[in-house]
Amino acid sequence: MDKPNSLLLTRKRLLIVVLSIAFLFCALSVRLLYLQVFKGSWLQSKAAQQWYRDLPLEAPRGNIYDCNGKVLADNENVYAVYVRPRAVKDFDAVTKVLAENLSLDYDKLHEKLTTTHVSEITVMRRVEESVAEKIRDARLDGIYFTVDSKRNYPGKNRLEQVLGFTNIDNVGQNGLEGYYDKYLSGIDGFALTQADMQGNQLDGTSIRYIPPVPGCSMTLTIDTEIQAFAETAVDGAKTEFASKSASMIVMDVNTGGILAMASTPSYDNNDPPRDDIDLLNALSKNKMIVDVYEPGSTFKIFTTAIALENNAAHTSDRFYCPGYRMVDGQRIKCWRSIGHGSQTLSEGVKNSCNCVFMDLAQRTGTAKLYEGLRAFGFGEKTNVDFYGESRGILMNEQSVKTVDLARIGFGQAVAVTPLQLITGVCAAVNGGTLYKPYFVSEVVSSDGKTVYTHTPEKVRSVISESTSATLRDMLEKVVSEGGGKKAGVNGFKIGGKTGTAQKYENGHIAQGKYISSFVGFAPADNPKYAVLMIVDEPSGYTYYGSLVAAPYAGRVFENLFAYKGMLPAASDDVKTVIMPDLTDMSLTEALRKLKELSLQCEIAGNTDKILSVMPMSGTEIPEGDVVLIRTEEIEI
Amino acid sequence: MKRKLKQTKPEIGFEHPKSRPDIILFVVTALLVGFGILMVYSASMYSAQKNYNNEYYFMFKQIVGALLGAAAMVALTFFDYHILGKLRYIILGVSVGLLILVFIPGVGVENYGAKRWINLPFFTLQASEFAKFGFIIFTAFYMAKHHKKMTTFKGVMPVLAVGVVICVLIILEPNMSITICMVLLMFVMLFIGGVRIKHFLIIGIPAVCAGVALIFAAPYRLSRLMAFLNPWASPLEEGFQLIQSFYSLGSGGFFGVGLFNSRQKYLFLPFSESDFILSIIGEELGFFGCLALMAVYVVFIFRAVKIARNASDRFGCYLASGIAAVIAIQVLVNIAVVTGSIPPTGLPLPFISSGSSSLIVFMGGVGILQSVARGSHGSGIYLARHKRVKRAAR
Repeated sequence: MDKPNSLLLTRKRLLIVVLSIAFLFCALSVRLLYLQVFKGSWLQSKAAQQWYRDLPLEAPRGNIYDCNGKVLADNENVYAVYVRPRAVKDFDAVTKVLAENLSLDYDKLHEKLTTTHVSEITVMRRVEESVAEKIRDARLDGIYFTVDSKRNYPGKNRLEQVLGFTNIDNVGQNGLEGYYDKYLSGIDGFALTQADMQGNQLDGTSIRYIPPVPGCSMTLTIDTEIQAFAETAVDGAKTEFASKSASMIVMDVNTGGILAMASTPSYDNNDPPRDDIDLLNALSKNKMIVDVYEPGSTFKIFTTAIALENNAAHTSDRFYCPGYRMVDGQRIKCWRSIGHGSQTLSEGVKNSCNCVFMDLAQRTGTAKLYEGLRAFGFGEKTNVDFYGESRGILMNEQSVKTVDLARIGFGQAVAVTPLQLITGVCAAVNGGTLYKPYFVSEVVSSDGKTVYTHTPEKVRSVISESTSATLRDMLEKVVSEGGGKKAGVNGFKIGGKTGTAQKYENGHIAQGKYISSFVGFAPADNPKYAVLMIVDEPSGYTYYGSLVAAPYAGRVFENLFAYKGMLPAASDDVKTVIMPDLTDMSLTEALRKLKELSLQCEIAGNTDKILSVMPMSGTEIPEGDVVLIRTEEIEI
Repeated sequence: MKRKLKQTKPEIGFEHPKSRPDIILFVVTALLVGFGILMVYSASMYSAQKNYNNEYYFMFKQIVGALLGAAAMVALTFFDYHILGKLRYIILGVSVGLLILVFIPGVGVENYGAKRWINLPFFTLQASEFAKFGFIIFTAFYMAKHHKKMTTFKGVMPVLAVGVVICVLIILEPNMSITICMVLLMFVMLFIGGVRIKHFLIIGIPAVCAGVALIFAAPYRLSRLMAFLNPWASPLEEGFQLIQSFYSLGSGGFFGVGLFNSRQKYLFLPFSESDFILSIIGEELGFFGCLALMAVYVVFIFRAVKIARNASDRFGCYLASGIAAVIAIQVLVNIAVVTGSIPPTGLPLPFISSGSSSLIVFMGGVGILQSVARGSHGSGIYLARHKRVKRAAR
């Protein structure tokens, strides 16, 4: 045994201490080897994630132009505001500046900035340049900006349902923005930079830079000028008739190109109501492509065309209208309860006499009529370059009874989209060729290469040129002599057809709810433009297509001719007549009086007793114009 | 004193007094300090440029520290360490005084939520650094003087009392890491001083209990403790520092990314120039760089222990052992922290980490080691002093 505390003990213990230290050094070397070598590459790859800053470089979205090169959609710079909490020196000041300029809640923002443990907080996106400038002027540490791109629609609430809009990330959501998103959106690039903890780029570090590829630009068939005429028309009709909505399509008869498409109500496409999804859906829906309606008398164009094409009727055929037809023991009324009497086919079209078209449909037969209607594109999509298109409703051919056939003949018991109708009308009057309707005529890449060009696409030949010519002739008379008078433009030949359809709600006729429409084309002998005007639920007693829709279509035609520099033919002197006083007359007397003056009339009511007349007596109106007589209405 | 030395002479073990300082120890110290200046520059150049608009800011401070440290080292080399023993109460008094001074507003400087520094005209002095050496001097002298009593529990008590007082003052700053260092130092010194193993257990158990209590007294210590076990669980909070250290070390691999090429020093790794400078060394110079550095430390410690073994008396032996121990403890604890082997504590790497107080005190420590190495101070100055001391003792 050693002495209690000998120097030998000291040396022994020193040795123990030295050995322990040596052992610990060895142990820590192993630990270092494990971390640096065995875990090294894994740790380094994780570390690399924080060493580089990947700056996305947003590809500018392609512009959209109208057919004249006018901008319909482009981009404007906006700013995204970020805060990097680690770089913030004064949270109170930063919060104050941001809250004031961006109208945010101070306390909420302060909490978000001080308690969120991420390197970067996005405070707000799409901040306008002037606001971003104000924040920048405060010169506070920790606030950063990136330039963002925002879609800009100079037309605001013009063409918004056609163009559609993009989401906050500039991805097309609906309309043409959605349909052509793959062309319009470019390919984002990025810049890879080395950065310090606070995100500051390090000097002299290599940067990998992949430039963004801008999206393709797109030219539409839409003509902003014509669109403006159409917008004016629908706005005017909606205001004048306090209607639920009003819509118009203008189409190039010989290509299927859509020149204008307008609808009310509208919204500012630069600021769509994104917070109210129902409202947004309702407003942004393109009713002219997505929704169907019962076309009414405008559909008679097709009945006539198919009957003529199938030799089921000839222009010289005569028809008698007593005011109704008995079909399978069921009494179907003509709109004019006192009847049209004996008339030629041409007069039947001019008078829009339901009996004539019931006869035509029955003479043609279900099979031939359906074949014809399908050839005109009903019951199938037009395949327009737009999402959400409806195919319309044609009854199942097998279940079509004679009564149904008769009704289809004058445009009931079918449902079509406005686009289908005008596309069909174009085929009926252009010589018989059905074209696929389209919006986009050309797509050009950012480096100027043409990526896509639309050549007018013939779907099929529907009717012969001669049938088409006959039809043009008959429809021209509807405007020059018949119910389409108000769509006429002095010195021009315009063809067309009015339509007034009662709306159905839950399978029943909705009393007092009508869809008034007019479809026309011009010039009547060599059609170039087709116009469809639809007024949904005009209020009051003026609900006839001839009085509601036709005048607005006429105004559009008039503007269109002026815009296109089309000169009127040697203008006939417009004869005018003075509106007679029809009150206290019976309906029969009144009609005789009007006929003497070469005036036409629409009648609202079902008795002989006249309540009111429009226009007022004493007004000077053009010969052949259409007047409205309101008679007493009794329940039958 | 002289008489005592003669009495111990028959106890073989101490070689004849040398009159030369240990050249290898000087060289190793110079290597470490020089390397430290280089690495402090590398680790801090970006943050210094960013925060002080001068990439040499920390390096210059380190050079000033090194110069002051060199002065202290040379002075202490030629200063008879026995006088330090005589002055032990004064040194201890100054140590405790400085530790108290830290808490006086205006004098003490608060940083990272702790009061550890004393504001001096040229640099801030970390009181606890000084206190460690105060404790070593006191303990070494006490154990040498009362080496026979060291086997009794009563004889250990004064060392314990002084140790506890210093620990309590440091823990109040608060500075957990230096406290742990102090406790470890105390145990190593008592071990070398010949304290019986059963007495260790009697002291050790309450010390462990106190440590556990301290951890639970401050919740941040517990969460820090958990962070070391799984830093990935809270990569942005408690685990952040350690993960960044791992990223540094891992990026280094075998050979490192090259001097000055660290990526982690770009503000990712906090305290990269001070407590976590080894991470940057590992990143820039790799595993082999770390190994080489550790080898240099091992050489340093071996030389210091050799000086202890060869000391001409017990006081010199204990003194040298204590200095060797405190350096070894700090190096090991620092490496263990940086590699996530123990809970993270803020402890500088001796001679390398940025920090003037630490550098001056450690270089001063080298001076004391050299003084011990020189053994008998045969110069006239020493004799004259010694006689005077003897006279004074009478």
